[in-house]
Amino acid sequence: MHAIEINNLSKNYGKFKALQHVTLNVEKGTIFGLLGPNGAGKTTLIKAIAGALKPNEGSVTVLGLDPLKNKWEIRKKIGYMPQTASLYGDISAKQNIRFFGKAQKVADLEKEVENILKFTELENRANDRVRNFSGGMQKRVSLACALVHHPQILFLDEPTAAVDPHLKIRTWELFRELANKGVTIFVSTHLMDEAHKCDRIAILREGILLAVDTPEQILSRGKTVITFQKNGETIQHEISSAKDAILKELQLLGLQKDINQIDIKSDDLETILLSITQGKE
Amino acid sequence: MQIFIIASRVLSQLKGDKRFLAISIVGPIVIIFLLKVLFDALDADLPKLPQIPVKPGMPPIQPPAITTLSFILPAAAFVIHFLCFVICAILLVQERTRGTLERMLISGFRRTSIIGGYTVGYFGLATLQSIIVVTEVLWLFKLDLSFTSIFLLFLVIWLLAIVSVMMGIFISTFARHEGHVFPFIPLLILPSIFLTGVIVSPDKLPVWAEFIGKLFPLRYANNIIKELMKPEYAMVDLIPDYLILVGYILALLFLASRTMKETE
Ligand SMILES: Nc1ncnc2c1ncn2[C@@H]1O[C@H](COP(=O)(O)OP(=O)(O)OP(=O)(O)O)[C@@H](O)[C@H]1O
Ligand SMILES: [Mg+2]
Repeated sequence: MHAIEINNLSKNYGKFKALQHVTLNVEKGTIFGLLGPNGAGKTTLIKAIAGALKPNEGSVTVLGLDPLKNKWEIRKKIGYMPQTASLYGDISAKQNIRFFGKAQKVADLEKEVENILKFTELENRANDRVRNFSGGMQKRVSLACALVHHPQILFLDEPTAAVDPHLKIRTWELFRELANKGVTIFVSTHLMDEAHKCDRIAILREGILLAVDTPEQILSRGKTVITFQKNGETIQHEISSAKDAILKELQLLGLQKDINQIDIKSDDLETILLSITQGKE
Repeated sequence: MQIFIIASRVLSQLKGDKRFLAISIVGPIVIIFLLKVLFDALDADLPKLPQIPVKPGMPPIQPPAITTLSFILPAAAFVIHFLCFVICAILLVQERTRGTLERMLISGFRRTSIIGGYTVGYFGLATLQSIIVVTEVLWLFKLDLSFTSIFLLFLVIWLLAIVSVMMGIFISTFARHEGHVFPFIPLLILPSIFLTGVIVSPDKLPVWAEFIGKLFPLRYANNIIKELMKPEYAMVDLIPDYLILVGYILALLFLASRTMKETE
């Protein structure tokens, strides 16, 4: 059984088609990244899986359950971090985390709250009102609220946007740690370094799923330019980025004495994503 | 209990937002004080008002027969009614626009708990507002009421405050953002002021207008207030109106739990 199964999912806002026939599966204990330009439908997809949206067509199964029909069972098992802060500004960080923890009936709540505050490095500000927090700090509180009850599946909508590099790296270490323990993580992002850290990524544009694959496989869809200098002359060969293609090309070139410089440049993920989402592929 | 988790969070929020708390307490105090100023000016002015000239043969135009006693308590009730309604509606709509409502639902809170939690949370504020307004009116206008009457007066204003909170919750379930609350404000204010006995006694209104007035809870609160102002009244006569107010609370609770959307 997959942790998440999405079958032919469509969602319309009036006449506008926010999601069109999306089908994909997510393996348990993996990190699944959702990429795509603004307005692609990432948030809509996350909400539909988390049970905050009613799809117009298709089905979603989370841990074998229907998010709308079995909502009470599912809600205990999932953690959801919305794209916007979605916190209470007039109460403290600690009170916010405690509030959502209580909803989930977390055992030994005070200890859990302390732990998560420590992890998100909010101990010093734990009792301050969230209203006065910086954008990145609010994100941390929001993440803490989604994690406090140790969910089996995490839905994170751009969790590290506006978070500083130091905490971002720590957050991804935690995600990997959680995944190793069997937690499934479904995360949307615009950041390429994060995309590289996912087990699989999906690329969405205008509500249509364009590709689902591992970052390596997506990379191999790009092109590689091999530039070499032979007798002072610069020659360029353009080939695909597939591992064996590069190997073959190099074998073909051999190690000829008169080649005195080789430069291999492969497309990076961002370039490939852009070409996919701009329909150049 | 989810209801109490939410209620205590609502109270912590109120405590955290001192300015808001101050405004919702000071607001009614100032309005009642302004009413007092207005009435003192009216009392001084009324005998000196010039006669409005009318065509010969027509009856002279009388200034409206608003006496302080018949107006002040319904007016105070209206102030509470309006404030509780607007405050609660806006705050709940904010939960929707800021995404916390969605988050609460996905975290496992039930709709009925959210509505119940808000009601219980605002019980406190509504009680405080009722006590303050009743005390201020009794003191400023030197009303001489028996202890029982004061208690019954407080009870009706308090029930009305809770009805208003429920109305706020109910209306907020239709709104996607704060702006959607505003059209409901005149819809609530105008009929409430004109048709439920704040200005004129409803039995002087045409039948249709009286009927519309009967749809508004302020009408029943005013019925009770009018009775309480009489030198003598029978407690049993008040019971139906009290029960209707309780009925409004239950009906709105039920309706709101039906109309609150969980998913888009
Ligand atoms: N409630 C709504 N009513 C109407 N249209 C909506 C609604 N919510 C989203 N949309 C539309 O659906 C499309 C997808 O929106 P969504 O928020 O899912 O994009 P996204 O991929 O998360 O973008 P971003 O990277 O900016 O977060 C957008 O064109 C948006 O305008
Ligand atoms: Mg989004």
